[in-house]
Parts: sequence; structure tokens; C-alpha cells
Amino acid sequence: MDRLLFLLATGLARGAIFALFALALVLIWRAARVVNFAQGAMAVVAVYVAFAVTGLTGSYWIGLASALVAGGLMGLVVERGVMRFASHASPLSGVIIAIGVVMVLQSALGIAFGSNTRPMEAPFSESPIVIGGVPVLSPYDLFVLILAVGLMGVLALLFTRTSLGLQLRASAFAPEVSRLLGVRVTRMVTAGWVLASAVGALAALLLVPTELGLNPHSADMLFVSAFTVAVVGGLDSPPGALIGGLAVGVLISLVTGYLGATVAPIAVLVLLVAVLLVRPGGLFATTEARTA
Amino acid sequence: MSHAPTRSAPRRTVAAVSAASALLLAMSACSTPSGGGDPAEAAPGVTDDTVTIGTHQPLTGPAAAGYSSISAATTAYFAYLNENGGVNGREIEYLVKDDGYNPANTQTVVRELVQDDEVFAILNGLGTPTHTAVLDYLNQNEVPDLFVASGSTSWNQPEEYPWTFGFNADYVTEAEALAQYADDEFAGQSVCMLGQDDDFGDEFLEGLENVLGEGSLASVQRYSVSNQDVVAQIGAMQAAGCEVNMLATVNGFTALAIGTAAKLGYQAQWMSSSSGGDYVTLAGFLGEAAPLLLEGFVTTNYLPYAPGNEWDDLFRQINDDYNDGAPFDGNTVFGMSVGYLFAEALAKAGDNPTRQGIVDAIASGDLVGNGLVPLAFGSDSHSAYKGVSITTVTAGVQDFIGVTYVSDGDGGVEPYDGDAVPLENDGVPTS
Repeated sequence: MDRLLFLLATGLARGAIFALFALALVLIWRAARVVNFAQGAMAVVAVYVAFAVTGLTGSYWIGLASALVAGGLMGLVVERGVMRFASHASPLSGVIIAIGVVMVLQSALGIAFGSNTRPMEAPFSESPIVIGGVPVLSPYDLFVLILAVGLMGVLALLFTRTSLGLQLRASAFAPEVSRLLGVRVTRMVTAGWVLASAVGALAALLLVPTELGLNPHSADMLFVSAFTVAVVGGLDSPPGALIGGLAVGVLISLVTGYLGATVAPIAVLVLLVAVLLVRPGGLFATTEARTA
Repeated sequence: MSHAPTRSAPRRTVAAVSAASALLLAMSACSTPSGGGDPAEAAPGVTDDTVTIGTHQPLTGPAAAGYSSISAATTAYFAYLNENGGVNGREIEYLVKDDGYNPANTQTVVRELVQDDEVFAILNGLGTPTHTAVLDYLNQNEVPDLFVASGSTSWNQPEEYPWTFGFNADYVTEAEALAQYADDEFAGQSVCMLGQDDDFGDEFLEGLENVLGEGSLASVQRYSVSNQDVVAQIGAMQAAGCEVNMLATVNGFTALAIGTAAKLGYQAQWMSSSSGGDYVTLAGFLGEAAPLLLEGFVTTNYLPYAPGNEWDDLFRQINDDYNDGAPFDGNTVFGMSVGYLFAEALAKAGDNPTRQGIVDAIASGDLVGNGLVPLAFGSDSHSAYKGVSITTVTAGVQDFIGVTYVSDGDGGVEPYDGDAVPLENDGVPTS
């Protein structure tokens, strides 16, 4: 029982990060109908900015703010500079351009900063609080969970309660009609990218202190897990990203703890296949099946 | 869909296949590598004043962080050697190709090296999964496959792979030595293991059980390199009451394991394979807390990486002069030692080196190397080091403690009290 609690707690903390990153994928999917394969590399660029800013100012929080700004800027630059020119005839062209962006960004980071891993400090203790003899969540894990859930709430408000949110949703679901009604759709697509990249940057920033440290490949595996989460939860659904993220985090932790680390990626794939067979649109999809 | 394209498709395929096979035939006719043997004809990659060799290394990608400095060190050693006259009047050209630690890339770049660049030999190809992908290819084409940078026992199969030689002390020997040391120093304590979920972990476990007895470990945990979260595994070791933890981990995961344990408030004695035991590299991962977290950390080495050692001094000098003073660590010593061993083998292969000649020179057992224990190469052994010396970390300094073990060839180790190989002729081998 103790072990189960321990594994559940570990899984939740990691799952919250998956959820945030998956949310970034969902946001871009909703805005532009593209799965952004460059999300990981773009986020890592922002984390490098945060690393440098934290190093210069000594403040984690200024670093965090700068990661959000840098992430947003990356979204702007990549969308306006490259992704805008992807052909809409085939979803593949966007994917291939995004992979190209990954290569350019990772190589550029490698050239500029080298491939060494730089340790990053968490702003709170990572030692778990022991409750009833069982080590459960650490203060940092709690911080991540609260931030993830809070951000989801803010985004939900933005999408459902503000004019900007309405325009974002309108241009994502019916671009032609929105355009006729005076919504500047291209601007909304860009806004979606900026928002999503900032969220992705935040997720990567939260992940790095729990792992080895920062290097150009820090978000590679995060992207893979989060992509699974997004598909499991439904690419259209922010709540799906949250619940899917937590579910995948707990699944990986439980399988690693009880069956072994080798089986964990297989368990995630089994989950993916099962969901795609039963509900091809994802668990929380509102549409019957994905359209692209 | 119309029928015309489907009908013509097979015809096109046939044409393409026959064109391709014609091309293949033509290519194989003019590029069949000669296995050597004819002294009148120069071996591939050998001219009057150069010998060209190549390697595959992870210069980019996730594995680059731990290992990309090795080939730079080897290149620096060759630059030093070339400046001091080379080997038998020939300079060594070292072609380093990046495979990103991806076996599919390894296959491509090694074929490029052998077929386009026509290298004399492949030196120090890095990684078990990567090098396994080209093991058959190199042996079928009779290309010397020297001093593979991995502790897998796969490279020591003289019957099946006569052209392949290993470099690292193998994981089984390392594990046996560490298990023996734990048995001597920490008798009665509960021993556990965290290992990579591949040959590395399997062979290491085999070595531990050879010495400690089958099923004697209190907990055996595995990690997968694709998941940088080992909380579940470390938590299990803590719950199992493990006191001495053996690590078959690469540097990053050694740091991760020790860092995770510290976060969980779990103290234990850590002992690691040399593949994941370099203090400087670990300190880079762990940051400021490194001296505290790594105090008493035990690992092994078979190369002269110790402050004040004459080889160490020479390599530091070469590193300053020919490697832009890059950070000096275990990888630097490893890379330069590989370069030295190759130069020694090439010198022993004579004035007109052939592929067969250099392999014979290594298998003759006459090579000395620069290790702490004698080289084990011979006609029936393609393994370089069958022994290791124990190191510990004290106040942020990793050094030998004078305890050295060599394999007794029977699933165990015995103490070795012979001398390390002394430095000769400023590290420039002579025939």
C-alpha cells in the first residue's frame, strides 16, 4: 500500500508536466490544425533563455517570466517565419517543416552552448514530504501541480469568457465564416502559436530541474510522452490533455515500479493503441473522429 | 484508378532493379577491400607518409554530452604524435564521423569510411548498440575493428569476429572487482543494483552474482535511458533497505540515481562501473552539491588517470597544447590512451603495415599499452583489460586507493600487485 501511494504521487507530479506540454500541442492543433513537432526544441530554446536570465539576475522568477516571453516570441517567429508557408494540401508538409525547425534549433543550441548538460535548480525543495511514513509529493511537485491546474483554469476562462477567446475558437473551427464576420484569422492563428509556445516553454522549464539538467535534447522525450497524452486525451480537448497527462504519468510510474522500466514505454503504446481502437478521436474528443 | 500505371509499374521495377544490380556489381568489382597479405601492394588507407583511420562517435544527440570529448582527445594525441614524427614515418589521419548514437547512422557512416574514404581500420567505435550494427560488416570485409569503446563482452570472440578487439575492461570483470571490494570492505551489508536495461546491466549483474552468489542481491532495479525519472527505482531500493548500491549506469544516470536518493533523504554507499564513474563529468551534472553527494563514491579504472601520474601529466600537456585546453577528465585520458595503443599496434605492424599485419601484431600479445594492469590481448583473447583498480572520491578528488583486481578467469577476481605500465619515450611508440 505504501508503495502504491509513493508511486501514485510520483506519477502525478510528472503527469502534470506532461499535461502542460500536451496542452501546448492541443492549443496549436486547435488554432492551426497542425501537430507542432517543433514544440520541444522551441521550448528548450526558451529554457536556455531562462537559464541565462536566472544566472544573470539570480532570480528564478525573473527567469520563469523570461521563459514565457521567449517561448511566446519563438511561437511568433516560427509561425510567421516558417509555418505560415506550409502547404495546407497535405498535413505532412507542416510536420516536415516542423522537423526541419527541430534540426535547426537543436544544432544551433549545440553550436552555441555545446551538448553538455547544465544542472538547473528548482525554486522549492525537491525532497518529498513524508506523510504517515510514506514519502509523497515534494514542495516542488506541489508547485508544478498547482501551476498546471491553475493555468488550465486561466486558459479555460480565456477561451470561454473573453472576446479574444471567442475569436480564437471561431477562427480555429470556422476560419472562412470568421473571416467574413471580421475576425482577423491569421492574427488569431499567430496568437494561438504564441500562447501555445509559452505554455510549452513553461512545461519544459518545470521539467528540467527534475531530470538531469538542460541540454539541447532536454525536451525530446517530453515531446514523445506529451504527444501520446494529447492523442489519448483528444487533440481538440484541453481537459483531455490534463486528465490524459496525469493518467499517463501515473501509468508510467506504476508500470516502472511494479513491472520494470523496460515495460513502461510499451505500456504507454498499449494505452495509445487501445484508445485509438475504441475512441479514435481520443477519450475527450467532442467530434466523432479526427478530421485530419 | 486507371490500369495503365499498374501494368507498367512492374516493368519499371524490373528495369530499376537490373540497373541497380549492374551498378552494384560494378561497384563491388572495383572496391572489394583487400584483406592485406601482399606486402608489395599498399593496404587501403596507407600511403608512404600517411595512415588514414576512421571512427564513429556520438558528436550530436543525447549521448554526445557524455562522450563527444573522447574523439577530440584521440585527435589531439595524434596531432602530438604526428608532430613528433608519426609512426614509422607516417602521419596518422583520424576521420571522426558523427552517428548520433543511432545504430542506423552508424551503419551509414562506417560504410562511408570503409568504401569512400577507404580507411585502413576503424578505431574506437563507440557504443554497444551502435557498434553491434557494424560488427558483421567489418568482419566480413576484413577491416581491422580496433579497440571498441564499450565494455560489452561481444568484442571478445576471436573465433567468430577475428578482426574485432575491445578496449574497455569488460563489465563482468568490473562488476566482479567491485563485488569483491564490497565483500572485503562492507561485509555483511545489504547489496543492491541499479542497471541499464540492456547488455550493460545484464553482464554487470552476472559479474556481481559470480562473486556474491546467485540471488544474493537484495534488490535489482533497471532503468531505461528513455526515461530520466528513476524515483520509482530508487524508492524501491530505499524500501528494500539497500546499503551498498552497485550502478551499471552511464554518467548521466549515475548522477540521476545519486541525486534522486539525496532528494529522497536516502543515504547509501554507491559503487559504479567506470562507464558511469567519472567524477568531473558527474560533478558537471550534479552542480554545486557534487563534492558532498559524491564523498566516498567508489568506481574503477584501468587507465592512469590520477593526479601526479606521469601519463596523466603528459596527457594534460597534450590537452593544453593540441586540444585548446579543453576540460580534462576521464574521457580525455581514455581517448588519448586509445590513440597511444593504436600507435603502438601500428608501430609493431612494421614498416609496411597491412590489415592482417596489425591484427597479427595485436594478437601476438606483445602490446604493452598504458594501463594499470597488463593488456590481455593474445591469440585467444580480444579483450584489452581483464582487471581494474578501485578509486574513491575524497573531498572532491577521485584517486586510486592501491587496490587492484584482475580476473582469475574462473568467475572471480584476485588481487594484483604488479606495477602499472611506465611512460616511455614521451608517449611516442617506437617499433
